This record gives sequence, structure tokens and C-alpha cells, in this order.
Amino acid sequence: MVTGTRLGIGVLLAALLGAPAVLPPFYVYLLALILVTGLLATSLNLVLGFGGMYQFHHGVFYGIGAYTLAIAITKWNGPAWMGMVAGPLAAAGAGLLMGLVCVRLERLYFGMLQLSLGSFVWIVALRWYPVTGGDNGLHGIPLPPELHPLDSAYRFILITVAASLLVLWAVVRSPFGLTLQAIRDNPQRCSVVGIPVRAHQLVAMVLAAFFAGVAGTLYVVLERSVFPNMLFWVLSLEILVMCLLGGWFTFFGPLLGAALVVALRVFVGRHTEYWTLILGVLLILLIFFLPEGILGTLGARRAQNPRVPVPQPTHAGDAHG
Amino acid sequence: MDPVAVLGQILVGLSRAMILFIVAAGLSLVLGVLRVPNVFHGSLYMVGAFVAWTVAEAMGGHPARLWPALVAAPLVTAAVGLVVERTLLCRLYQREHLMLILFTFGVMLILNDLVKLSWGPTYRSLVPPEALQGSVSVLGVALPRYNLVLLLVGPLVATALWLFAHRTRIGKIARAAATDREMVAVLGIDVGRVFAVAFGVGCSLAGLGGALVAPTTSITLGMDHTLLIESFLIVIIGGLGNLWGALVGSLLFGVAHSVGLLIWPQFAIAFPYAITAGVLLLRPQGLLRSVW
Amino acid sequence: MGNLLLAEGLHKAFAGFPALRGATLEVRTGEVVAVIGPNGAGKTTLFHLITGVLQPDRGRVVFEGREITRWPAHRRCALGIGRTFQIANIFPRLRVFDNVHVAVLSRHRKTFHPALPASRFAAREVWAILEHVGLADKAHHPAGTLSHGDQRTLEIAIALAGRPKLLVLDEPTAGMSPEETEATLRLLARLNREEGLTVLFCEHDMEVVFATAHRIAVMHQGRTVIQGSPEEVRRHPEVQAAYLGSGDA
Repeated sequence: MVTGTRLGIGVLLAALLGAPAVLPPFYVYLLALILVTGLLATSLNLVLGFGGMYQFHHGVFYGIGAYTLAIAITKWNGPAWMGMVAGPLAAAGAGLLMGLVCVRLERLYFGMLQLSLGSFVWIVALRWYPVTGGDNGLHGIPLPPELHPLDSAYRFILITVAASLLVLWAVVRSPFGLTLQAIRDNPQRCSVVGIPVRAHQLVAMVLAAFFAGVAGTLYVVLERSVFPNMLFWVLSLEILVMCLLGGWFTFFGPLLGAALVVALRVFVGRHTEYWTLILGVLLILLIFFLPEGILGTLGARRAQNPRVPVPQPTHAGDAHG
Repeated sequence: MDPVAVLGQILVGLSRAMILFIVAAGLSLVLGVLRVPNVFHGSLYMVGAFVAWTVAEAMGGHPARLWPALVAAPLVTAAVGLVVERTLLCRLYQREHLMLILFTFGVMLILNDLVKLSWGPTYRSLVPPEALQGSVSVLGVALPRYNLVLLLVGPLVATALWLFAHRTRIGKIARAAATDREMVAVLGIDVGRVFAVAFGVGCSLAGLGGALVAPTTSITLGMDHTLLIESFLIVIIGGLGNLWGALVGSLLFGVAHSVGLLIWPQFAIAFPYAITAGVLLLRPQGLLRSVW
Repeated sequence: MGNLLLAEGLHKAFAGFPALRGATLEVRTGEVVAVIGPNGAGKTTLFHLITGVLQPDRGRVVFEGREITRWPAHRRCALGIGRTFQIANIFPRLRVFDNVHVAVLSRHRKTFHPALPASRFAAREVWAILEHVGLADKAHHPAGTLSHGDQRTLEIAIALAGRPKLLVLDEPTAGMSPEETEATLRLLARLNREEGLTVLFCEHDMEVVFATAHRIAVMHQGRTVIQGSPEEVRRHPEVQAAYLGSGDA
């Protein structure tokens, strides 16, 4: 990574860490929500923007992560940390199951089937009142007292999100990340070159689901509630829009998109109850006028590999690598 | 288990399957010709139901109030679909496939809120005219008259669709365009017009399905969701663009739903998923051939 | 010098249409073999069967004495069969460097590595290949922005990354200008001479074929009419009738 960017990110992190000291609680809450949603969007983009898969119902893994933590604490009376580990693992497991079913299908079937299966999970959550709280969800989930104050919860979320993003960043820059992008661009060619395409896509799905699960557990830390609409497809569409808005071929695009969409949703929600209409209009405007997203359009060269400098060539003399 | 009750349930299931078929056929047609899974197909179904309700209400208690509703609904949804297709969707045909799909998502979000805006969040019911109320004895079973109507309408629509696809010029061109649109264009045929017709027919079927289902269920926001999912599943197992597949899939789902209600009522909704999972495990490409 | 590749009695039909009706082909190690024939003769289908994109209805494909008829494409690559495509089949959003890098990573079996930056792996090997084919100065460009000829060359580079023993090229000079065609041929000839790379390609351009190939196989209506040296092929009466008589492109 270029030194200037490293410095910039360091400054940003420091500012974020110090935010609760200067911002009123509502904005701290908003920042925390943006961080959680940003992680969720970035996890989606791993398979969508970098993997080229039609992940139309990514929210399922988010919801499963959140519900697992909530249920672990309220119904199974387990310690919170166990729920926080179980959440992402359950989400990853769901990703594995979903992947095993869907990945071997062609892209279009993949998306349609995922949408359908995900909706099934939503229906189960909606109806299984004794376990999931039905259409009310679960509220007032007791967390360890250290996490009760908003500022502590915020810092916990910030650190977890930063760590998760670091891991995702490393993955995107790694050989696996490059291979995934190649699969996005031309899966047939990958196959001919000896890459087992389905296996890579499956691993990507599990990874993405895992981090969506992390985001889900962080949401519970923030809100201490879970709602069935976390599993509803409108949320999944929202995250898609975030990726598109920020720039789905960039790493930081989804984060930016999340910040903008969450802020917009909060603002719009105060004036009207027709947020989905605005979301739909936003989506269509993006498709026609800004398909590469903000960061994508701003930095055409950055819109390929996330700042991986092409290694310097060795010069004439040592001919073979 | 009482065989009469079972038969009765199955007949009801079959009549429900007719509506599923009409909607799924529309989806499959659009998928086959335009290669787009029209996500706002479910919203149009919902619009069809609401429009039918509005038209029927406007006619007061008139005994024949269902007929104009059944005509108006598909016309309205076809018009909506055509407007969207001719103004916006057609500009995306050259773009990445994903953009087309996301566009239909966007329209779905907008349409759903527009329905909420126009009709409000409370649910409506459409009482069928007296002539279609009550039940009729079929094979020794008491079947609601309206369901019998559905059992008759279904095959009619299927036949009409088949005639359209195989006996009309535009239908045959649409089928050709589904398998090889480049070839069709080379033959000098305006592919855009073919797409528009196919899309219009598909959307009208969604509206018709909504209008037909209106007297049997509560008309609410969110009724699009389950039906869209079921249509997706039907099209997946029946083969994209394959109308016979849509019929087979719909029948399977309709009967399975009824059987599910008899055996395991709380989990009846899981049956279509179980069937889909089973079919996909055995034949990942779907029950019947995809058109492309 | 035995057969590196042997294709025998291959039959393949598409929805009733017989594309191949008992086609055969032999390629010896170190050779350059060209497959020619009029449109519809089955050249591309034959290549698909050799590289594993399709499976034959009947017949077999043997590589280095091993029968690989039913092997999927990616396994054949590991065995040493590299291929390029008729339509430029690259990774358009990735840079030229990355296009080749992916293939190199695949050969090293490193594609699942999730942690260290990709640039730490085998970068020098990638540069070597790029310099070999002459694309080193365009390494930073997104592959999709390359000229048609350069894209075809990139294709060859991607195939070379697999260190193939046999390189299979489907109409490598299609759509190229005369200069590009010549450059590609020189590259292939050099690879054959210097690296001992065995090359199999199919072509329409007769000058290309007769200038570069050691042996030529002529196909017609799904069968192999003859496979032999350029002289033998030139004199074969059936070839003259089926091919030159009908007036090729």
C-alpha cells in the first residue's frame, strides 16, 4: 500500500477512536452502524465485485450471525463470547451449505436459487416464534456489562471491523483474491488454465458469509436486538446498492456506499416511509449513470487490483525467473 | 385419512397450481426470450390483484363485476411492463447481464412502494359474485365453485399460450429469438419488437394471475413475495423458458402444497423447497430442457 | 520420437448433426502440426475434444501414452496441454501482468493462498514470459484495452505460463494484420525451436500453414483426409478437390 494511503488510514482510525469524546451519542451510534454495515457490504463485495457471483441474498448470513448470537444468549443461556464465535461460524456454515447447492449451478440459477433459499430462512425466522421471537424478533438481549455503554460498544465494533477489513484486504491482494477476480472475468479460461473454479467460488462464499456473520453479531452488540427483516431481501438489495454506489470493483467502495446509504436511510426515514422507493430510484440511477460507482469512476486505474503495484521487472541478465 | 378430504385438498391444490402456472409461465417466457429474470413480475401480480379489486369495487354489487376486472388487470400490468421496457429496460440490453437483473430489482422496489402509496397498507378482499360462490360436487367432493373455474381457466390459458407460441408468427419468432437472437436479427426481424411483445405478454400473465387469485385470498402488500419465490423455483426446476416445464412444476407445487397441508400443516411451505432440492440434486439443469 | 498426442476415431454429434465422423490426428514431440479444412470440417470441434472442453461420443484421445478422453479441461492443463481460443479469451479487467500471473499461480498450485500479497509469488517468472512474447512494456494495461493482435499474443502468454508440452492454438492469426500474423508465427517458430515446444494449430491462411508446419492434417466433413508433410498434402488429389477446388477464402 502506498505510504500516503497508510498514513491516511491511520489518521482516520485515530479520529474514529476518538470520536465518542467529541460527538453526541446519536452520531456515535450512526458511526457504529455505518461500520457494521460497511463490513457487511465489503463482505458481499468479495463475492460480488471480486468474484462476479450473483449473490442476491447476502443478508441471510448477516441475519444468521445475528440470530445465532441472540439465541445463544437468550435461549441457551450461553456466555456472550461463545455466541460471538458461534455467530460467524453458523453464518459460514450456512454459506457452505448454500454454496454447495448453488455454486454448481450457472450464474443465473445461482442468484435465483439463493434468493429463494434465503427467503425460506426468513420465513422460518418469522414463524418459529418460540426460538426466534417471530415477527417481533428478540429484544433487550443481555450483553456483558463492559459492552453496555455506547462508547464501549462503539470501540469494540470499530476494532472488530478494522481487524476484519484487514483480513479481507489481505485476502483480496493474495493469490486467492487474484484468482477470484480472474474467475469473475472469465471462468472458462480459468478452468482451461487448471483452476478448479467451483472450489474457489465455494471458499469465497464461505469467507464472505463468515464476515457477514461477524457483522451480524456486531449489530446485536449495537442494538441488542434482532429483527426478521435482517433476513428479508430488501436488506440484501440495500447492501447490493451500497456496493454499486461506492464502486464494486474497488475495495473501499462498499464502505463508502454503506456510509452514504445508511446516512440517506436515516435522513429519509425521518421524512417519509417510502424508503424502498428511494432505494429503487437510487439503484436505477446508478445503473444508468454511475455503474462503476463513485470510487470506480474517480480512479479508473484503481478500479482494478486494490493498489497492488506490479512487481518491478528484473533486467536483462537473469532471463529466467 | 379420509380419501374424500384428500381428493378435495388435491383438487384445491390443482386449482392453485393453475394460478401458479399462469404467473410462472409469464416469468418463464420473459426469461426465455429476453434472458432476464424479471424480479418485478411478482409486483405486477400484486398490481393485478389490486386493480381487479378496484375495478370490481367500482362496479358496486354488480353480478358480472369479475369480468371487467379480469380484463383490466392484465391490460394494466402489460401497459406498465411495456412502458418500463420501452423506455428503460431496452437501453440495457447491450450492458452486462447483472445490470439488467439489478434494474428489475429497482423497479420492484419502486412498484411495491407505489402500490403502498396508491392503495395503502390495509388489506382488501374481493368477494366473488354470487354465481361463483358456494361449492359444487366434483367426483363426490365438495369443491368451491371458484376453484372449479380456476381448474377450467388454467388449461384455457395454457392452450392460448401454446397457440400463441406455435401458431402465430410473432410467437414463432419469439421462440426462435430465445434460442438464437443473433440469427433472428440477421433475418431482418426487429428483435426489439419481439422482446417488447414477449415482455408485454409475460407481464399481462402476471396481472391475470393476480386478478384470478384476488377472490380467493386477502389482497395485501407482500403477496408478491411468496409467489415470486415460488415462480422462481418452478422456473428453475422446469427449465428456463420452457412453458411445459412451468406447467409440470406448477402442478407439482400445487399438489405438494395440498399434500403438505394434510400431512404436516406447519411445514407445508417447506414442501416446494424440498421438491426443488430433490430435483436439483438429481438433475442440476432442471426437470426439462432450458430453452438456451 | 513417439507420439505426444494421438486422437483416434473421434465421433461427435450435436443434436443429430455429425460434426466429427471418425477424425484422427497424430502429433509427435517437437513438431509443428497444422490442421486445415473448409468451414464446417470439424477443426474446432476436434480441438475442443483434445483440450477437454467437450467429450466425444466415440473414439479416444491419448497424451503421452495416457488415455485422457474423459478428463476435464483443468486436469489436461496440469498434464501439459495448453490452449488458446479463437476469440480472444483473456481476463479483460485484469492488467496484462495479472492475466499471466494467474496462470503461473495456477501452475504453482498457489491459487488458494489467502494471505500474502500475490506480488510475492513468482513475479520474475511472469516477467520472463511477458518479455518472451514482447508484452512487457504493456504489463500495466488492463487487458481489455489491448489491440486485437496483442490480445491474441497475451493468450499465448497465458498458455505458456502453464509450461505446456503441447500448445494447441485455434486459428491464432484470425483477424490479424499481416505484420501481426508474421510476428505471431515467428514467435511460435521460435518457441518450437528454442524451447522444444510442440505446437498444434488450425488455420485458414494457407501461406501461414505451409510456411510453418512440419506436418499438415486436412479435414473434410468430420474426417481426416490425410496427414503428412506439406508436399504430400499439396499433391493429394482428394485435398485438391475438396479444398482448393471449392475456392477457399
